Amino acid sequence: MKSKKVTKKILYHVLVLILGFFMIYPVLWMISGSFKENAEILRGTLALIPQNLKMSNYATGWRGFGGITFATFFKNSFIITVIATFGTVLSSSLVAYAFSRIRFRGRKIWFTCMLATMMLPGQVIMIPQYLIYYRLGLVPGYVPLILPYFCGQAFFIYQMMQFMQGIPRELDEAAKIDGCSKYKIYSNIVLPLLKPSIVTTIIIQFYWKWDDYMGPLLYLSRPKSYTVSIAIKQFADSASVTDYGAMFAMSTLSLIPVFLIFLFFNRYLVEGIGTSGLKG
Amino acid sequence: MNGASTAKAQGFRRFWNNDNTVGHVFAAPFIFGFVCFSLIPICMSFYYSFTDYSLGTKSAELIGFKNFIELFQDEVFGKSILKTLQYVVVSVPLKLIFALLVAFILTRKSRMVTLYRSLYYVPSLVGGSIAVALVWKQLFARKGLFNSVLVNMGLNKINWFGDQNLAIYPLILMAVWQFGSSMIIFAAGLKEIPSTYYEAAEIDGASGIQKFFKITLPCLSPIILYNLVMQTISAFMTFTQAFVITGGGPNNGTLLYALNVYNQAFKYNKMGYACAMSWVMLMIMSIITLIIFRTSRFWVFSESET
Amino acid sequence: MKKRTVSIVMAAAMTAGLLAGHVMPVMAEEQINLRMAWWGSQDRHDKTVAAIELYEELNPNVHIEYEFYSFDDYFTKLKTLVASDEVWDIFQLGGNFPMYLDKIYPLDEFIESGVVDVSKISEANLKTTQETDGTQLGLTNGINTYGIAYDPAMFEEAGAALPTENWTWDDYKAAADKITEELGIFGSSTFLSSDFIAGCSTYIGQQGDLGQYGFFNLDLTGMGFDDPQMLAPFIQMRADMINSGSYPDAGASAEVTNIENDFLVTGEAAMTWVAVNQFPTIYNVCKDMGRTLALATVPRVTADGNSGAMIQSSQMLCVSQDSENKEAAAAFISWFENDIDCNNILQAERGIPANEDVRAALAATATEGQQIMYDYVDMVSGFKVPDEINVLSPSGQDEVQDNYLNYIQQVVAGEITAEEAAEKTYADAAAIFE
Repeated sequence: MKSKKVTKKILYHVLVLILGFFMIYPVLWMISGSFKENAEILRGTLALIPQNLKMSNYATGWRGFGGITFATFFKNSFIITVIATFGTVLSSSLVAYAFSRIRFRGRKIWFTCMLATMMLPGQVIMIPQYLIYYRLGLVPGYVPLILPYFCGQAFFIYQMMQFMQGIPRELDEAAKIDGCSKYKIYSNIVLPLLKPSIVTTIIIQFYWKWDDYMGPLLYLSRPKSYTVSIAIKQFADSASVTDYGAMFAMSTLSLIPVFLIFLFFNRYLVEGIGTSGLKG
Repeated sequence: MNGASTAKAQGFRRFWNNDNTVGHVFAAPFIFGFVCFSLIPICMSFYYSFTDYSLGTKSAELIGFKNFIELFQDEVFGKSILKTLQYVVVSVPLKLIFALLVAFILTRKSRMVTLYRSLYYVPSLVGGSIAVALVWKQLFARKGLFNSVLVNMGLNKINWFGDQNLAIYPLILMAVWQFGSSMIIFAAGLKEIPSTYYEAAEIDGASGIQKFFKITLPCLSPIILYNLVMQTISAFMTFTQAFVITGGGPNNGTLLYALNVYNQAFKYNKMGYACAMSWVMLMIMSIITLIIFRTSRFWVFSESET
Repeated sequence: MKKRTVSIVMAAAMTAGLLAGHVMPVMAEEQINLRMAWWGSQDRHDKTVAAIELYEELNPNVHIEYEFYSFDDYFTKLKTLVASDEVWDIFQLGGNFPMYLDKIYPLDEFIESGVVDVSKISEANLKTTQETDGTQLGLTNGINTYGIAYDPAMFEEAGAALPTENWTWDDYKAAADKITEELGIFGSSTFLSSDFIAGCSTYIGQQGDLGQYGFFNLDLTGMGFDDPQMLAPFIQMRADMINSGSYPDAGASAEVTNIENDFLVTGEAAMTWVAVNQFPTIYNVCKDMGRTLALATVPRVTADGNSGAMIQSSQMLCVSQDSENKEAAAAFISWFENDIDCNNILQAERGIPANEDVRAALAATATEGQQIMYDYVDMVSGFKVPDEINVLSPSGQDEVQDNYLNYIQQVVAGEITAEEAAEKTYADAAAIFE
């Protein structure tokens, strides 16, 4: 009986691991590519072990362009991403609370507007949007890359709304009877209970912002202000040569911060099921 | 005097705690952002759809419904809509089922779960990077991994990127592969399900499968709805995969709608036409989203239903 | 809690600092600030920045604020700058630029006043960046032309006839088929999107008398030929080659991401289409593998017909209409193209220098591959060309090109005939002018 259980457990782990290997294989290939020579990458072998170990890709890549190293690009990305992620959590939770918990006039219209903003491709509103920031004198600069994140992000507003639906309304009612205002209910009841949703928001938004490159491309101009995402693109030029080795090396490094953020916050999503204070 | 100011303070407090005020205060960030930075661009794109606006030159002449009439005669547009629908209809359910399944399997109390979940999340951290595009091309190349497997099994090779009917599948597989963000959201949702529900069910002698269908799925339904809506919208908007892997080919077999819009706006310099295209798609997407919302009443279970 | 507040305040302070960094410093009166941008690779970025620094050293009153991007990003960025009337003072443009014509400030007045020196640039080279009426739009960063790179050893092994100076498309097809038959590899590698240049622009120009036909007419107001069927033989040839396996189909073509993994380089094809500035790169790669590549002319329609070859500008530097310091910008361009020290830094990475002295200085240190390229360009320069050419292409060309390549795929699949593909392509192109 017991050994059957153990076998089952082992089987579970083996299966999850095998599937997991296939999942990350392309990423491993990229990492191994950062130690390969350009020609080997282009030859298109799927092998993970480099034929000749080439360490210099990291040095070449890190050197950056025209004297600006990746240290600068990482610093820029980090500042923008951290602030934008913070803004997203703050503003999206506020707006989600309004949309899901408060019956106010215009709620449905604003909600529809929010969904509509997601349905128009960025390519067609990009330029008019650029012109607004330009007229406001905010280009080039970091403001257009950060400010919208303090205005709520549709994807996360809606997500938080759905999570708020899972918070029993009786809690609100009880607090109201205790004399709590809606503002207090938000900060003392809803926000703490929203933790899993906030954690997912941080994980996903951090990556999205880190990876975003259209924004920095439009709103930044001096190479010193570039982010990692545009800097990596500089290795690939369809019109001349591409240094894949250096590009993979920097792509690998660029994975590290987002992966660490994931690791750090992920534990809030596993620590046992149902211990989030919602018991009963 | 004193009474008046108290009354005033009370009046203010009543105003301040009125649902209409509270709602607008909390929604203020969105309203501000929408009015300042989204509304005008959206209106402009609508206006442009009736003009011959192109990005290089700055003139935009009103041409009435010409763009829309042209759209309905445009074979490439028709094909790109069909391909996009195919992409959405196949990739979204697969991705969600996979994400839910993995999220569910990985909620066991095990120290390894953190590691496993990281493994499964990593693909979502590379997005449409050039490295991944290269790997994907090589996996499906003439001598790539998939074809080697087929040959070993005694089957014929498949010319994935050479056949306009097949080339979409590697892209779909890539979308499914990057299921990480849906998985994380499901995981958060699973964590929210009170364990007392399960305990009660266990007392009643419910089996694992019963628990999944009677407790997990209903409790998770708002999150499933959320993921369904969001993944559908973002699948319609998919651009990067098609752009970096196939460039829309062969013979427009992977010309997803967002890529088509990009080509029209930036490559062919027909911004007006691209805007018209976007608005037609907006209509299609709105209808689909509306259908999802309407049907959700029958299967979404909400704790805070009033 | 306190700690968090502190970190937020710090973050805010850092942003404020960064934002402040973007406000342009107030300049002393004689100080000139120029903005410049280009696209390219890491190598080009490093070299260009070094050249700019040299210029700033020589001209302490000039400060050049530079930006660089990859090719696609560059044009996305340029379009936003066009929309907001703030195009860089000095900017780089390639072949397809009619849509930016309004943004280019011609150099003629600076050539007249001597700010821009063109004394060492030949008439033909100047022409590569002129409008048909002679307006000098910019100075070329490097001249370029097309050719067929091939591996003579493979030709010999297969017993195929080697390309000659005036070989024809029939010779090309025969050689490719022979190589495929004997060696089991592609006779010709994919031309990618350049198949449009080969099958449309070049192929039409090669027919009739010199200058009689062009794909578009000279003033870009209509088509340069009347009979759509003039396109059909090439389309038919291409489809036949794909069907017989001597030219890669769409799936195989998609595997070529870069000139460095072209099938010629990987040994899966015996020849490929190149812009000659790419030749030294693949020459070196193949040399390392023990193969020696050669460069042949683009095949002709008939052996005694037009070559259809043209010396073109790979890219040019222009002064922008939005610039407040046009003269200073023009002076920089002149230095950039003519100064030998500057070009010793740049090392002809953008193409073959148009200035004779510069080219002579660089030729002294040329590698084998570069030498073949220089010789080839000299040979092509000797070909007869029409008196009048238009270096511009109309802005709808990209769509015609994409459709053309798809029509070929449809002919391969048997959905339409080559004649229908020719009609459709002609109709698409003619639609630009409606």
